[in-house]
Amino acid sequence: MGVGMEYKSILGERGRAADEQVLYDLRISELLEDILGRERDEFLRSLYLEPLNNEEIAVFRLNVFRDLMRNEVYNAVENFVEKIRESIDYIELEKEAYEQHKLGLHLDAALSYIEAVESFYNDLKVLGIRSQGLLNFLNYLQSIVESRSFRLMKERAYEAKKARDEIKIRVKIIGNRIKVRRYDEGKDLSAIIKNLFSRFKESEVEEVKHIRVTSEMSHIHAAILEGAFKFYRKEYEILKRFMEDFQKIVDDGVMRFAKEVKFYLTYVRYMKKVMQPEYLFTIPNFTCDGSINVKNFYNLLLLRSGRVVHNDISTDGVKRVFVITGMNSGGKTTFAISFGQLAYLSTLGLPVPATEASLPFFTSIMTAFPAREDPRESMSRLEQDITKALKILKQANSTTLVIANELFSTTTSEEGFQLARLFLSELNRKRAYCLFVTFIPGVASIDFTISLVAMPSPEDPMKPSYKILPGSPPSEYMAVRIAAKHRLLYNHLREILR
Amino acid sequence: MIHFDLLKIGNSPKITTAEDVRADLELDKIIGIASNKDRLVAETWLEVLLLRDSSEDIMRYRQEAVKDALVNREAVQKMYLLAREAIEKARREVFIPRLDDPTLVVYETSKGIEILVDAVEKLLTILTSAKFSSKAFSELVSSLTENIDSEFISSARNIAKILAYGEGIDFSVNIGNYNCLKNPVLLVPKERNSLISKILSIGKEYTFSIDPRDEAGLQVLADIKRWVLSQIATTMLNAYNRLRNFFEDLAKQLSFYIGVINMNDFFEKIGLPKTYPEVNPRKLSFENLYCLSLAISTLSKPTPNTLDSDVDGSFAILITGANRGGKTTFLKAIGQALLLTRAGLFVPAESFIIPTPGAIYTHFLREEERRMSYGKFEDEIRRFRSIVDSLKRGDYILMDESFSSTNPVEASIVAENIVSALVDSGINVAYITFLHDFIYRFTNRYSKKTVLLVPERLKDGTRTFRLVRGFIQPGYAMELWRKISATLSYSTSPSPTV
Repeated sequence: MGVGMEYKSILGERGRAADEQVLYDLRISELLEDILGRERDEFLRSLYLEPLNNEEIAVFRLNVFRDLMRNEVYNAVENFVEKIRESIDYIELEKEAYEQHKLGLHLDAALSYIEAVESFYNDLKVLGIRSQGLLNFLNYLQSIVESRSFRLMKERAYEAKKARDEIKIRVKIIGNRIKVRRYDEGKDLSAIIKNLFSRFKESEVEEVKHIRVTSEMSHIHAAILEGAFKFYRKEYEILKRFMEDFQKIVDDGVMRFAKEVKFYLTYVRYMKKVMQPEYLFTIPNFTCDGSINVKNFYNLLLLRSGRVVHNDISTDGVKRVFVITGMNSGGKTTFAISFGQLAYLSTLGLPVPATEASLPFFTSIMTAFPAREDPRESMSRLEQDITKALKILKQANSTTLVIANELFSTTTSEEGFQLARLFLSELNRKRAYCLFVTFIPGVASIDFTISLVAMPSPEDPMKPSYKILPGSPPSEYMAVRIAAKHRLLYNHLREILR
Repeated sequence: MIHFDLLKIGNSPKITTAEDVRADLELDKIIGIASNKDRLVAETWLEVLLLRDSSEDIMRYRQEAVKDALVNREAVQKMYLLAREAIEKARREVFIPRLDDPTLVVYETSKGIEILVDAVEKLLTILTSAKFSSKAFSELVSSLTENIDSEFISSARNIAKILAYGEGIDFSVNIGNYNCLKNPVLLVPKERNSLISKILSIGKEYTFSIDPRDEAGLQVLADIKRWVLSQIATTMLNAYNRLRNFFEDLAKQLSFYIGVINMNDFFEKIGLPKTYPEVNPRKLSFENLYCLSLAISTLSKPTPNTLDSDVDGSFAILITGANRGGKTTFLKAIGQALLLTRAGLFVPAESFIIPTPGAIYTHFLREEERRMSYGKFEDEIRRFRSIVDSLKRGDYILMDESFSSTNPVEASIVAENIVSALVDSGINVAYITFLHDFIYRFTNRYSKKTVLLVPERLKDGTRTFRLVRGFIQPGYAMELWRKISATLSYSTSPSPTV
């Protein structure tokens, strides 16, 4: 159909492919499993693996989310996409179908499309949408709905549907012979049986299901339809002329929108699944002064297995290196990964799991996680760590986020401390951001760092609280306390062995 | 609607501690005789014996039916056999492995309907030739003769024929989405093709046949048939289920009376007296009551017991004294007779009068509770607590050495607290106990409501295994001591009695 306007992508622009290692370290692929669910659309998947190059596009997308996070808008869009999908499916089916079915498929494609476009246009018009992305599409839809060709197609499609509804036939199947005639009258056998046996008490009701094993459109069906059309000549002609006169049904721009908007729908659906009073999402706000202020962020992947602890992170932007120390299994790595994921999601223009999120727009996110010891690898792990660190330093700038987990741990802690100080000083000099998880407490005392500590549970100091709070590393070690509890420290052992 | 109710089970659930009662009162032995290896009879007896709810009216209703069944035993046996055979034949010949093949379901159920309708016809003949007088059986006869006539039988047979294997199908259908067929309605076939109807249909019918080599086409045809039949398959299945359910219901209800006939024969074989119990709110009275399970184990008449006591609201029977004196047998005899009474059955006694037809609960000492520990005591108390939750005024609780898992001084206080509360709440108690403090205090405080029974001992010291009214006796251990001392000609100074 000739429409004057041009469709503008609801995605803004595409991003660039993310680094594989980062996706792995931040467990983004696992997160995507949760977000995409059973969705196997490769195009959709690739959108989630492409961080954006500039902040404006992220804001453009986040504004679309602001609209879509309202239920009315979400439902209208989802409904629209569903119907357009249906229409496209009919057209696909038409290619292979028998002539008698083609007539019907084409009509149904048109009916779905007309209904989709009209109801979506009418819904969207009154929903008070604010985002540029959806406003662009609303204008585009208006140009379609108001076109003469659309109005004409609608009129003729309704006429064809009415004709089809008129058709009712009586079919008799005996052996491999089929007889078709115009329906006149008959007695419903099912009603007779129901009535006859109603004098016996109801027993448990079982449903017999029919699972179709052959197509609903076959040469046999075509032959039955052929018979039906013989007795319904006029109706047949109406169906046939509709198909001939309206060959193209779905507008190309509408088709692209339906495909692209799934990026948003999928994520909103995921958020709805996750959201509870204590697990919220927020639209991130990109700061220009270098500050970070994220409140109550949490790990989406851990939600699979139950309750999850919330944490905060903040800086005014002067200090940008966070050193995380504290008790074993206290949630240090989870904290770092969670923040990394949050930052990653924000660079796709997605809402993030927190109650408040102000952070810079990171143009790159890099990770340095311990490599598994691989005997075939010629480099030692320390060598690999240093290599990673240097590669990161080469690329880092003031909008880089580095997530480092127990780097330089395969050497003495003094040397590890020296390496860490070198690495972090360099990052600091480049004004890059870093979350550095380490068990070397000295690192937390470096002057340009912010020290965060995994805190024990207030009820039971043997157990972690998974809270990561600003403070100094603990002076007492958990492992020593546990040994004491089991009377295995020096004095105890002496006493027992006496 | 056909309605009959030979059992009046209503909505009564099992009593909560049914499994304990079953084991403690040796119900499996009794059911073994009634069922004579027929599992259905066993299940029904178990269910009826362990119902929580009963009333004097229900008891009388069943008593009347029990007497009627014994008079008309041949008709009852014939009907039961007919119902069982019909169900069995249907089970053997009607094969519905899955509910997703409507064609199979329709063919198989029409076969099943034919089998069961034949049985319905035979059932009517048996029923109308017997001479039932009880309300229960008369209602069965009238409900069946009112609801089933020859027209029903011929209509049902006709439907089975129309839908039998190998017959064609005749249906009306519309054209829907994709121009596929929709809304199939299976119709009663028109009269067989006469010459005139053939001539009339010329030009009005479009006929085609599928080439037998067109395998795909034949598959589609079979699928269409399944699809059309799926509209009726659930109805057919439910019609068949209703019929089968009718026979299952009938068989189940009759099975109780088959048990009655078997039990009657056993009583006659052993020479046990048979009495139909009565309810009198002011009496607890029986004459020569036998323990049925003991009679079954020994295939002879055990020692009977007799008791006559006035009841004022509720009663307590306390049983104490030497071991192996027939105390537990006595408790079982009462428990079994109470259960039989509620079920409307005859009991092994010359007479049996009870104050209420309440439910029966048991709290017998478990072997593992014989050791004294507060843990065990807590278990015992917990078990008792679970019974208390279901007790109602007029119910009976039979206790065998309850609260023996702690020392007798404190156990006595617990027992006194519990038993006093039960009796004051209108619960009847029969309690085998060695808690002397308790017995002493309780019999004094509740002298009007309490019967104290001890094993009878003749002057020469021999046991009769009969219980008589008594007072606290020295325990069996003391006796044994003396006896063995005597045998060994060993003399000691008399020990103080406990």
